[in-house]
Amino acid sequence: MEEYPEELRTPPVSLVALFGYSELQASITKHLHSQQPPINALAFPDLSHISLLLAHDDQISQASSFRDPLSVSDSSPPVPSRCGGILKRDWLLKHRTKVPALVAAFFPSHHIFGDPNQWLQVCSDLDSLKSVIRPKNIKLVVVVVQSSPHEELSEDRLVALRKRAELDSKYVLFFNSSIDSELSVSLSRIASAFAELALAYYKEEGRRIKSRVERRSSNSPDLNVRYCFKVAVYAEFRRDWGEALKFYEDAYHSLHEMIGASTRLPAIQRLVEIKTIAEQLHFKISTLLLHGGKLIEAVTWFHQHKASYEKVVGSTEFIFLHWDWMSRQFLVFAELLETSSATVQSFSSLNQETADISLTEFEFYPAYYFQLACHYLKDKKCALELLLSTSETAQEIDSCSESITPSLYVGQFAQLCETREEKGESLTLHSITDEEYTRFTISEAKRFQDSFEIIAWLKRSYESFTNLKSRRMAALCAFEVAREYFDLADPNNAKFFFNIAASLYRQEGWVTLLWEVLGYLRECSRNLGALKDFVELSLEMVTLPVTSYDDSGNSRNKNYGPGGPATFSRRESIHREIFTLVCREAELLSSTGGSGFKLATDSPLHLEIDLVSPLRPVLLASVAFHEQIIKPHAMCSITISLLSHLPIPVEIDHLEVQFNQSTCNFVIRNSQRPLWASSSNTVESGSQVENEPSLVLVPNNWLRLTYAINSEQSGKLECLSVLAKLGPLFTISSRAESPAAMEDLSLWKHENRVESLPTKDPVLAVFGQKATQVDEPEPQVDVSLGASGPALVGEDFTMPIVVTSKGHAVYNGELKINLVDVGGGGLFSPRETEPFSLESHHVEICGIDGAEGNDESESETGNIKKIQQSFGLVSVPDLKEGESWTCKLEIKWHRPKPVMLFVSLGYLPHGSEANTQKVHIHKSLQIEGKMPLLISNRFMLPYRRDHLLLNRIKPAPDSEDMSSLPLNEKSVLVVSAKNCSEIALKLVSMSIKFDDEQGETSCLIQQGGDSPSSANLAPGEEFKKVFTVIPTTRTSKLGLGSVHLKWRRQGGNITEACVSTKHKLPEVNVEASPLVMSLNCPPYAILGEPFTCAVRICNQTQLLQEAKFAMADAQSFVLSGSHSNTVSVLPKSEHVLSYKLVPLTCGEQQLPKITLTSVRYSAEFQPSAVASSVFVFPSAPHAEKANSAAK
Amino acid sequence: MANTACFIIVGRNDIPIYEAEVGSAAKREDAAQLHQFILHAALDVVQDLAWTTSAMFLKSVDRFNDLVVSVYVTAGHTRLMLLHDSRNEDGIKSFFQEVHELYIKILLNPLYLPGSRITSTHFDTKVRALARKYL
Repeated sequence: MEEYPEELRTPPVSLVALFGYSELQASITKHLHSQQPPINALAFPDLSHISLLLAHDDQISQASSFRDPLSVSDSSPPVPSRCGGILKRDWLLKHRTKVPALVAAFFPSHHIFGDPNQWLQVCSDLDSLKSVIRPKNIKLVVVVVQSSPHEELSEDRLVALRKRAELDSKYVLFFNSSIDSELSVSLSRIASAFAELALAYYKEEGRRIKSRVERRSSNSPDLNVRYCFKVAVYAEFRRDWGEALKFYEDAYHSLHEMIGASTRLPAIQRLVEIKTIAEQLHFKISTLLLHGGKLIEAVTWFHQHKASYEKVVGSTEFIFLHWDWMSRQFLVFAELLETSSATVQSFSSLNQETADISLTEFEFYPAYYFQLACHYLKDKKCALELLLSTSETAQEIDSCSESITPSLYVGQFAQLCETREEKGESLTLHSITDEEYTRFTISEAKRFQDSFEIIAWLKRSYESFTNLKSRRMAALCAFEVAREYFDLADPNNAKFFFNIAASLYRQEGWVTLLWEVLGYLRECSRNLGALKDFVELSLEMVTLPVTSYDDSGNSRNKNYGPGGPATFSRRESIHREIFTLVCREAELLSSTGGSGFKLATDSPLHLEIDLVSPLRPVLLASVAFHEQIIKPHAMCSITISLLSHLPIPVEIDHLEVQFNQSTCNFVIRNSQRPLWASSSNTVESGSQVENEPSLVLVPNNWLRLTYAINSEQSGKLECLSVLAKLGPLFTISSRAESPAAMEDLSLWKHENRVESLPTKDPVLAVFGQKATQVDEPEPQVDVSLGASGPALVGEDFTMPIVVTSKGHAVYNGELKINLVDVGGGGLFSPRETEPFSLESHHVEICGIDGAEGNDESESETGNIKKIQQSFGLVSVPDLKEGESWTCKLEIKWHRPKPVMLFVSLGYLPHGSEANTQKVHIHKSLQIEGKMPLLISNRFMLPYRRDHLLLNRIKPAPDSEDMSSLPLNEKSVLVVSAKNCSEIALKLVSMSIKFDDEQGETSCLIQQGGDSPSSANLAPGEEFKKVFTVIPTTRTSKLGLGSVHLKWRRQGGNITEACVSTKHKLPEVNVEASPLVMSLNCPPYAILGEPFTCAVRICNQTQLLQEAKFAMADAQSFVLSGSHSNTVSVLPKSEHVLSYKLVPLTCGEQQLPKITLTSVRYSAEFQPSAVASSVFVFPSAPHAEKANSAAK
Repeated sequence: MANTACFIIVGRNDIPIYEAEVGSAAKREDAAQLHQFILHAALDVVQDLAWTTSAMFLKSVDRFNDLVVSVYVTAGHTRLMLLHDSRNEDGIKSFFQEVHELYIKILLNPLYLPGSRITSTHFDTKVRALARKYL
């Protein structure tokens, strides 16, 4: 687009000429520029320069050898004659920069209204001006410049001025620059007058030319094109885009009719001229359409343009001119589209709108046109190269024809000659013949570097398509770029772009295209001397699923890339080429083949093939272990299956199978091949070597090899890779794959071929794995856990652990101990917060004792001994065969809980060698933690004294099961401990201790009686001890402390420490009783003998207590005394109810029951049944007598 | 009959499963790869266009100089693509419809794995006969 002249590329702007008053001209010019539409102004200082105006045009036309009788400046009617061209080159420029639409003459007011001499001068100036502009119909404006707004104006002079200038009064303007407000008014007045007159000028000119078009005054189509063009340009001056477009199209169509009709110039130049003008007209039309936002029309127009000139090839010998022209059309349109702001909203609606040809989405993107421009430019390049190669004359042409220049007319060329005439030396232009012209164009074309243009445009196209996410279009562009670089012998850049294309084709499986690209890439790497790339690319090509056998087309066809046609025979030939290159014998190394590579002996070629490599079809290695778990040192079968898609069978020298345990690596040797000096660094010397009669990879056939290997090391044994050695220097390493997880080859999976399984065993082919698990060696050491029955809560439970060697020596032994809750709840419960078990663990390991007890020596040797609450780690000293070692594990239960004890011993059987593996033994034992003793307690109130304890009658809601004790009374506490385990225990002591100071002051506890301090308790046996409790403080909650019990297992070691168990006594309620009823009764009675029984009601308060009592009759007694009554008991005194009773029956008899009701507290209470019974003897007992006798 | 016509069937995974040069002028397999480059690039347009219309025949979707790419998308998103220089749209449409029928017959073959290459010679002969008839 840049090669077009500026005036063609931009819309035309009206032009005016200003004469006189140069000091005002700057501000006026500036104002005119800022108008909408703007007006350009030519400024001349005074009228004497008037001859400069328009003079240039005449001079040129006189000097020209092609005198044009039809130029605008010529007012004479056109003579239909043989004219020189269609459009003059400088016509547009002239109207843009030289020929003004109007002339404005500035005169000072005093020249007009003042001195008559000056007035005469004005008149003569005006006359001369008129004489110049009249023939060209240029408009005139007279501007009178006033120095002040109140200047005197003579009406007569003004009329005379108008008459002299032949002007309407509105075109005689007054300009006042003295006041700012006046200045702006004057400026705008001038601008509007100028715009109006300029419009009128262009309209008139347009109309004048249009009338010629309409009259068809000339039959010459040249003139018709020219007139239409001019009308369109004048319309553009007026900004009448519609008319401009119409006449440009008219001109375009008339021009098209001229093809074949015109005979003016030699044939080639004639067509060149027409095409050049068509190009300019097309450019104008496209620009106008795009500026109008008519994108679809513009694209459609472009297609019509292309279609109508596509076949106008002209001379087939110089067809490169046509291709050059076509390429320029696409390029210019692409650039126009790129700069245009018009966008298409919806592409889907486009195809319905356009009737005849449907437009595709890409045709609205500049990238599409860039790409096609390149296509044509490439055609041009080829045509030019062909021309240069075939024609000798063309080769000789160099820049000898520099004297040929563009001539006066658009699209024409002429020879510049110096001629000597009478006037002197002058330059004249001579028309040239076609031969001269083609020499000129060839020499021009030779200078031009097409390839760089092509690359630049294609790159733009590539980027644009990449941004549009059209990867396939982008890949095509990349391929084209790369091909261009390839032609330019720039293999580095070519390789980059070929790789872009190849990756997409590889991914999408377009084999033919991939073949083509790889063929180019192969050549690039050959040119770069990259042997590895070359071999890799060749191998990839060779293993493409190209199965076409058709080789009828000659492979020298230039349509094919350097890879040749994608046929099976071509694959075979590349295969042979590669394998002769890489598998040469050592002695042949010096003589390098035609491929231009030299394999150095010290640089072996090694190819790695992984799971995503495109070279996977070259060597696919599937490895399957026959067993999932194997024993150490036992032989295990492994099947190695190799598949290749190379077209020709390949013989392998030897195979190396590599494992993660390098000791297992082994070699399979082809016994038919000579033994190469082993240069392998992956397989140690002395490792397993297998011999095979032949190792030949047949295309699409699995080569299955089964061997037995053994592993000494336990753990995972995985096959990593299979390395095939082909020839002395060429190795291919293929990653091993499990048959179970093997993916299909992406390119081959859609091919029709016989699919076979990698192993004969179908189960192995489906589930086989390339890894197996090697077991640990059998441990020959025994670990025994000597558990002695259940554990008891609170004691330090000792668990002896014995490690006995039975064949293995133990080195670096380590004992790991773990306690796990069986129930799964964990050994730890944060919710239960017990005051006495501050340890958060219910079961914990307290310590581990070595058998020898030599802790010091152990710490000296730096052995590990870590103990946590549920985990322990102990190191075991080195043991020789047959030795044993014992340690004691101490576990303490805080709660009854079954736990699982896991003990695992890890050791090295063969000293501390680094490579040997540890052997592990695991043992576990469930241990029950049990409660040893069940402790309970009971309170007993004083005998036959019943206290009215209000809390017992009306219990408070929060103290339901709390026992109440009377204040300052001696109560009895019985504590019993029952052995609930299955083990005989020895109770060492039992005592009650207060938990705090307060308990001691508020209560008095004494050990009652002389019960034994220690006792042996068989399982189920109970031990009781009596204490007396006297509460001294009235409190609702009296803490009585806790029972401390010391015990140990019976029969155990006496030195063994006693276990102390605590049992917290419940809190009691202490209150003062208002009434105490005590029963006085003899200890026994004798049948028939009356006795007295007294009930004392004691009032312990300061108040008068009224008490009701009721005595119920009993069958076994005859009773005398009041049955029921209400008595008042005075404060701090007592009332005695006395009864006489006669027992009627023997044995333990219940006394008549008395019920006391306190009126004040409305509380009723009775003595307990046990307390109110008496034994009745049939007669007076002898024991007492004997007793008294003894006394 | 058209001078240039390159016919290709692209499976739903974008892999070509059948290719044939069916033009009269072109020698068999001559410059096939150049035509395939254009057809492959046209897939970009097809993948956008196929979802905008319910019609199977997408008419011409791409243009490379004189060569036009016409596409027919089956319900299973297999694309029948033809690169041609003739303007006989009705003929192309009939050609596509008949090839579609042939393709369905191939699909009905229990031994044919959908998405794999069509190697049936019968299919090849029929397609070439259809090309002679319609293009």
